[in-house]
Parts: sequence; structure tokens; C-alpha cells
Amino acid sequence: MKPTKIFSIPLFIAIAVFATGFVYQDKKPWPVPDKFNKMTNPVATNADAIKDGKAIWAKHCQSCHGKNGLGDGPKAAQLKTEPGDFSLPVIQKQSDGAFFYKISEGRDDMPSFKKKIPEQEEIWQVVTYLRTFKK
Amino acid sequence: MKTINHKTIIWLASLLLCLGLMQESSFAQKDKKADKKEVVKDADKKVVKHKPVKNTFESIWIIDNQTVMVPVKKTFEMDIMHRFGVVTNGYQDFFGFFAPSNIRLGLNYVPVKNLLVGLSLTKTNMTLEGYGKYAILKQTKGIMPVSVTYFADMAVDTRNEENASFVNSTDRLMYFNQLLIARKITDDFSAQVGLSVSHVNIVNGYFYEPGKFKGAMHNDHFAISFSGRYKLKAAMAIIANYDQPITKHDANNPAPNLSFGLELTTSAHAFQFFLGNYSYITPSRNNLFNKNDPSEKQFLIGFNITRLWNY
Repeated sequence: MKPTKIFSIPLFIAIAVFATGFVYQDKKPWPVPDKFNKMTNPVATNADAIKDGKAIWAKHCQSCHGKNGLGDGPKAAQLKTEPGDFSLPVIQKQSDGAFFYKISEGRDDMPSFKKKIPEQEEIWQVVTYLRTFKK
Repeated sequence: MKTINHKTIIWLASLLLCLGLMQESSFAQKDKKADKKEVVKDADKKVVKHKPVKNTFESIWIIDNQTVMVPVKKTFEMDIMHRFGVVTNGYQDFFGFFAPSNIRLGLNYVPVKNLLVGLSLTKTNMTLEGYGKYAILKQTKGIMPVSVTYFADMAVDTRNEENASFVNSTDRLMYFNQLLIARKITDDFSAQVGLSVSHVNIVNGYFYEPGKFKGAMHNDHFAISFSGRYKLKAAMAIIANYDQPITKHDANNPAPNLSFGLELTTSAHAFQFFLGNYSYITPSRNNLFNKNDPSEKQFLIGFNITRLWNY
């Protein structure tokens, strides 16, 4: 075998392995318990709830998820998991309860907020706010 | 240095409180009508709960004073506070950055709702402090116009006898008690008044007549503080403080404090950068012994960093 062929295969493998390090560890399903999937948002969708949700978003979520939920916050690049684009239908089709569950429990790079935001109403307000990202 | 007449101070504080209460009263009138509508509308639903206003302040500190804020239960907090030298020497010590500084390291915890307890160590006089803060009342729309919190601090000079001499061990002690009253006036603006009494077990004395001796200062010292925070953006605010001594001593009267700066907050941090006159960080020492006079432009640069963990 020619020397170029000897090196090209392992080189290709090395590049492929190296490149995967830059790909977000992503797309692994995040199952939500039925109990949460069936939950409806008890907070009315009104200007006050959106305003309150926005304030909580700005403090706790924006640094990773971005100001408009596009996953472009200043810390996003440091994460192993892509924060997601909340304007997309594939994200928005989740139930309110699923959002509530994921914010409360967290997973991997996504912190759990149930202790930092002990008032459940405030987490629901964030859910109300992130619905405004829908295109 | 001038001190404002204490009657004027009490009048000013009362005026601020009255303004706040009048505003709450007018809101309460509107709220009563609004609440009535809501009650009628929601008659077949559960009772609407009134919750305290959120985020009057975003940190337990506003420069050198405590705020009415007590973090949520089971929050652990670390404080790093730094005060550089005064800026008056200019380039000689690079505006105080290279002058002797003061530092405080503090650890706080909220074991039960509304109660914060903490320990800290400050470089000046190796002052060890134990303190507690309790949120007595919380501003709630239509119900309570202000938040009220009580703060108590005990400070111990822990220098060894090579560096300081004390006749009695109790001579090392100082106490600080403060009642904080605050109101979130608009979504962007919060104001606070703090009434405090500092107590020091021992003061310097002097012979005012042969054989007759008295303290140069009283052991107890009253003061009032005015603090404010104005939000520029979601995570950025202007902060300001004014501390005015009330008690007049025979000698060594402390100077007032004027401080102002910027606060940046994240989910788990608060950063405060400011100019002010207080250098001691320990509240009783600041109130009793501050010599940096704002009228002489004796300001120093400082910063506070707090980091929260929730368990």
C-alpha cells in the first residue's frame, strides 16, 4: 500500500473523532413523566405574567438560552449540550408541563431550578414567557 | 465636618415613609376596585393569593449596608468585599489601588425562611463578625406598603496581644443593630431607610479636669442610612447610599458616608463596583469611626462580590 493510503485512513479517523468534539452532545431524548406532560399552566397568559416571566428569564436563563430564546446566550458556546432554539415549532410543540418539568428538574448542562426558584408560580411564568418566542 | 440636625433627619425619614404609604394607599384604592372585579370574575375559582413583591433588591448588600433581602431557604452565600485606599493621593498610589486595603470574607446561610445567619472575617483589626438578619414584613400589593428587616451584628477584634492590648476581653466587642425599611416604588426603583445603633464596649477617654475623666465618645451611636437602586437594564442597576451620623460626641465625631456605583447581577452572582467613604466594612466600625469625609473628596474604590448556591 502506498504511504499516502497508509496515513489517509487513520488520518480520516482522527479528523472524524476530533470533529465530533465540536459537535454538541445533543438530541438525546428527554423523556417527561406523564404526570407533567398532562399539566396545564395555571398562570393566566397576560401582560403581568409575561413581564414577570421575562424578568426571571433575564436573570436565570438568558445567559445560556439568549435574550430571545435562540440558544445564543454568552455562555452557550461553553456548553456541551445545545441550549436549543425555542422559536422552532419542534420545541414549542412540547406541553407547558414538559417545559415546567425540564426547568424544575434540569439535566446535564441544564441546572435544576426548583430550589433556586422555589415558587412554582414563577416557573410557570417563565413557561408563559417562553411561549412568546414562538415564530 | 457638618452633621445634620437629628430632628431634620427624623423629619426626612418620616416624609419618605409617608410618601411611600400615600402611594400605597392610592394603589390600594385602585387595587380594591381591581380586586373586587377579580373576585367577582373568579368567584367560582380559587381565592386569588397576594404575594410579596419580588426583587426589591438583588443582593443582601447595597455597598456598605445590608438590604431587606433575605435569600430563599437553604441558600448558601459567599461574600468577598474589598476596599482600596482613598483616591486623593492620585498617581502616587494609583488612586488608592496600590494603597493599604481592607478585605472581608463572609459566609452566610438561610436555614429557615426569612432568616439569614453568617460569619465573616475582616482584615482591619482581624474583625470576626457573627450576624443575623430576619425579614419581618414583606411589601405586598394592597396589603403591606413596605418591607421591614432587622439586622444584628456582633464584631470581635481578634488581634493577638502583640498587636493590640485590651484590659478585658469584652473590650474587643462591638455591636450593631439596624432596622431596615424598604419599598419597591416602581419596577425599576427601590429605596430603603435604615435606622441603626452601634455600641462599642470601650472608648478612649480623657481628663477634662485634674482627676476627672470621661469618654471622648459615647459608647452608643445612632445613625440613619438612605439607600437606593435604579435598574438600567434587566441585570444592571445604579446603586447609592448615604449614611448620616446622628449622635454627637465630645470628640472624634465620625464623618458621613456617600457612596454610589453599579450593580451587575446574574442567576448566582451579584457584583457591585462603587466609590464611597466607608473603608472599614464592619458596620459598627464604619458608623463609629469613619474619618473619610465626602466634603474633602476622600473617596475610595471598592467592590462586593456575592455568590449563591441553593441546596
